[in-house]
Formats: sequence, C-alpha cells, structure tokens
Amino acid sequence: MIRFDGAGKRHPDGTIAVEGLDLTVPAGRTTVLVGPSGCGKTTILRMVNRMVEPTSGRVLLDGTDVTELEAAKLRRGIGYVIQQAGLFPHRKVIDNIATVPHLLGWDRKKARARAHEMLELVGLAPETAKRYPFQLSGGQQQRVGVARALAADPPLLLMDEPFSAVDPVVRAGLQEELLRLQSELNKTVLFVTHDIEEAVRLGDQIVVLREHGRIGQVADPATLLAAPADEQVAAFLGRDRGLRGLGLRPAGSIALTPLDEPFAGWRLELDEAGRATGWTGHGEHRPAAAFDPGADTLRTALDATVLSPVGAAVAVDGDGRAVGIAARAAVLDALDALHALPPRDEAGHGR
Amino acid sequence: MDGEPLVRWYWIGDHLGYLWGLLADHAVISLVPVLIGLLLALPLGLLCTRFPRLYQPLAATFNVVYALPSLAVFVVLIPYTGLATQATVMIPLTCYALAVLLPTTVDGLRAVPDPVRQAATAMGYGPWRRLTAVELPSAVPYVVAGLRVAAVSSISLASVGALIGRGGLGYLFIDGFQRTFPTPIVAGIVLVALLALVTDGVLLLARRVLAPWAGRETAVRR
Repeated sequence: MIRFDGAGKRHPDGTIAVEGLDLTVPAGRTTVLVGPSGCGKTTILRMVNRMVEPTSGRVLLDGTDVTELEAAKLRRGIGYVIQQAGLFPHRKVIDNIATVPHLLGWDRKKARARAHEMLELVGLAPETAKRYPFQLSGGQQQRVGVARALAADPPLLLMDEPFSAVDPVVRAGLQEELLRLQSELNKTVLFVTHDIEEAVRLGDQIVVLREHGRIGQVADPATLLAAPADEQVAAFLGRDRGLRGLGLRPAGSIALTPLDEPFAGWRLELDEAGRATGWTGHGEHRPAAAFDPGADTLRTALDATVLSPVGAAVAVDGDGRAVGIAARAAVLDALDALHALPPRDEAGHGR
Repeated sequence: MDGEPLVRWYWIGDHLGYLWGLLADHAVISLVPVLIGLLLALPLGLLCTRFPRLYQPLAATFNVVYALPSLAVFVVLIPYTGLATQATVMIPLTCYALAVLLPTTVDGLRAVPDPVRQAATAMGYGPWRRLTAVELPSAVPYVVAGLRVAAVSSISLASVGALIGRGGLGYLFIDGFQRTFPTPIVAGIVLVALLALVTDGVLLLARRVLAPWAGRETAVRR
C-alpha cells in the first residue's frame, strides 16, 4: 500500500508540480491517475520510487517513508514501465528482461530462466528472446517492458503512460493483456494516463487530477461515470457517460424468460446444437441478436436488444447455446435496479 | 625528374625488408597513440558525463592542442624526449587522438535516449553503474566512429615525424624528394593508404562485433 501524506513537489525555480497530495493506493489493486498533461501525475508516480523527492509531506510505502530507504535498493523492488518502453538497445530481449534479477545478484541461469518465463507470460514467442529491441514492433517492445518490470516479482508496479505510443488496436491488446496479468498476479499497480477511456478500462480506483496534482475525485470507474463530483470532472469524463458506465456493469442481473415462451408473437428457432438461428412469427423470419450474461456487460445486452428486430435479445452461454430470452423491458428493469428505482409496474411506467 | 619513371620496380624488390620495417614502425607510432587516446578518452568521457562542468575546459584544452602544427610540437618536445625517438612523435599524436575521441565519447554517452536512461535509473542502477553498464555500451558506435577519424588522421600525421627523424613511412617522402627519385614516394603513399584502409576495416569489423545492435553507420562530427 502506498500513502501520500501531504506530499508536494516544488521545483527549485519556485513552480509547483504537486501540492499537498493526500491519497491512498490500496494493495493488490490497480489505481489510475488520470488528468490533462501538466497535472503532475508523472511527478506523483516518481515520488514513489524517489526519482522525484517530495519537497513537503511524505510518501509511505507499506508504512515506511520512502526517503528513508536507499534509492537504488528501493527501485529494484518496484517494477517500472514507461511510454517508449526504454529498453536497453545494446541488450538482447532476454537480457533486458533479466535486468533487475541481475542487479539483485541472482545467478545467471536462474535469471535467464525467469526471463524466459516472463517472455511467455506477456505473450511473446520464445524466439523473441535473442532479438535486439530495434528488431521489435512498438507493441512487442512494450510487452518486453512489462516483462522486465515483472521479472523480479515486485509487489508494486509503476506504469507511466505505458501504452500511449502504440496504435489503438495494439493498445487495446496490451490493455487486455494487463487486465489478464493483473487478474493472475494481483500487484499493486499505480498507472498514469491522460486517456480517461484507458483509466475506466484498467482502474479499480480512478484518481482524477487537476493542475498541481489536486484531486478532482477518487472513485471506482462505475461511480465516477455515474456520479462525477463536479462539472469539471464531468467535462473531463466526456460524453455518453451513462452508456459507458453500463459497460462496467455485468449483464447477469437481467431477468430471462424461457426459450420456448413466445415473445410478442415471435418464436425463437434453434438448431440441433441449441444455437439461435432467428425468430419466426407473423409469417416472417427475422435474425437474432445475442449476448452472454456470464461475460458481457449491460451495455452489450442493451445494444443487443436495440439491434434485435423483434425487441428482445437472446442470452447465450459461453459456447453460444441459447439459454433464455431477454426482452428490452427486462434490460431496462436491470437499469432501473442500478438506481434502486421501484419496479416499473408499481411506479406506473407500464410495460 | 626528367626521364625518371614514376616507379622503378627493381628498387621496390630490393628494399622489401626495409619497406616492411618502415611500415611496422609507422603502424606503431601512429596507432599506439590512438589506443592510448582511447584508454584516456573513456575514463575522461565518463568523468565529463558524470560531472558535466569538466567537459568544456577539457574539450577546449584538447582543441587548442589539436590546432597546434605537429611539426612545431615535435620540435618543442625534442629537448625533453629526444630527437628521433618514438615518444617525441607519439605524445602529440596521442593528444590529437584524444582531441577527436573525447568529444565523440561524450557525445556517445549522452546520446542514450532519455527513456532508456530513466528506465535504467528506475530499475535500480546507481549513477556510476548506469554509466558503465548502459551508457558506455550504447556509446560504442560513436566511439568507433571517432576511432576511425582519429586513426586515419594519425596515420597521415605520423609521416611528418620524418622531419625530426622518426616518421615511419614518412622517411620515404624525404628520401625521394632529396634524390629526385619518385619510386620511394609512390611506395610510401601506397603503403600509407593501405595501412589506413586496413585499420579502417578492422575498426568496422570491431564495431560489428561489439555493437551488433546498432545500425550500419553513425555520423561523427569533425
């Protein structure tokens, strides 16, 4: 756990980078610092590993003031990933990854074995090990950067806009990968970005920053999107907050009706494997839209009912077999439940 | 030189051993200073990178030395190191090599991209360890580029030493000039050029072995 206790940084020329920050970064979760450029988020990140020394207040790492620890030793215990990966150009991928184990004095064989494991963990082919950084794509370099940060198994990971320099498709892949890694490793991650979408996607806790590292709001992503603290935070969050927020809610809460029950005169057709092939009724055949209540979000479910030409979506399991029917109204009921509204019928909305 | 052909092959045939000896001497007095220059430039370069205030005065000093005509420096040194000794020729050549190698070494050490430097610091390298483990290897292409310039210029400058009695192949130019006999001059030019070419080739090879991760060329100033 990291605790910023009135931590501030004033540069020698008098400009203030960060002013009196109070913040707790919980262990085992991902905390994202998000804000416009110049809000001091990188400075905050670097106060943790002493690449920036606070000029006021304290930064406590598991209760110990970081300035009481020897800088190099402290840093070897903290993973660090930056925007351009910052790989050592003169070292092969495998030796890049083994950097911190090497600095910690592991024997060569153990360090290499560990580096090979890391390579696999971040989804790179074993033959990548012998390449030099300049022979890799930007996305691959970034994966090596993550592998290098994880090699000595540090409990804490600092990530400074690690995915900003790659194209959107690669970025989405890297974000996916980080979520997967984090679900396995449960590191304490402090992640800096200027991209609110990325923050919402990756963060368990999001810290919206203003100039001089002043906190606009600290909240989990769903709360942040649903209830921004003020106009400024709302403006930073951008448009369609409501819909985007639905993308964080599981679709499992939607009440399903049985498959054999007709929906407004439409009957769902299934093949032998139990997959929906479309709706028949009113002398017509219409295609079906589906979502997986076990994996998808309310946003996807709502989207499926909007797409469906009959007003109801098909709920499917992980193998694509239909398990139930979700009427558009049932999805709306699930949305009402988010705001703890009374059931529709009693509230007089009607069906 | 009326009627005298450019090359009399029999002279070359008769003097093979003599030419070989001059070539070997030339290689020693021109290239050993480059090597010493390198051994001095690396620690000095590291110091200048760690303590940047040292760099400007040091670079300025060697630049001034570089501006001095070699012959004048040889003559000044004679009372201390003796006429026709290797030291008299090699001391100024070492300074010239250093004048080229110090800036290229410092450039190389500074050329490490900022993210790489920051990553190294964040991984837990101390300042000195980072310099030697990250910045120094990254500087190899720059240092080799500097070595190529320094070596070729040293090979060419060493000939001047012949005027004070120790110039390796340079002696052939004086000899040919005094006797209006062009053959030694031609032989000297060819051998100097060959020495320069071979040295350059060896350096390029060294670069490929030491820095296989670098591109084909690194430009060097001067």
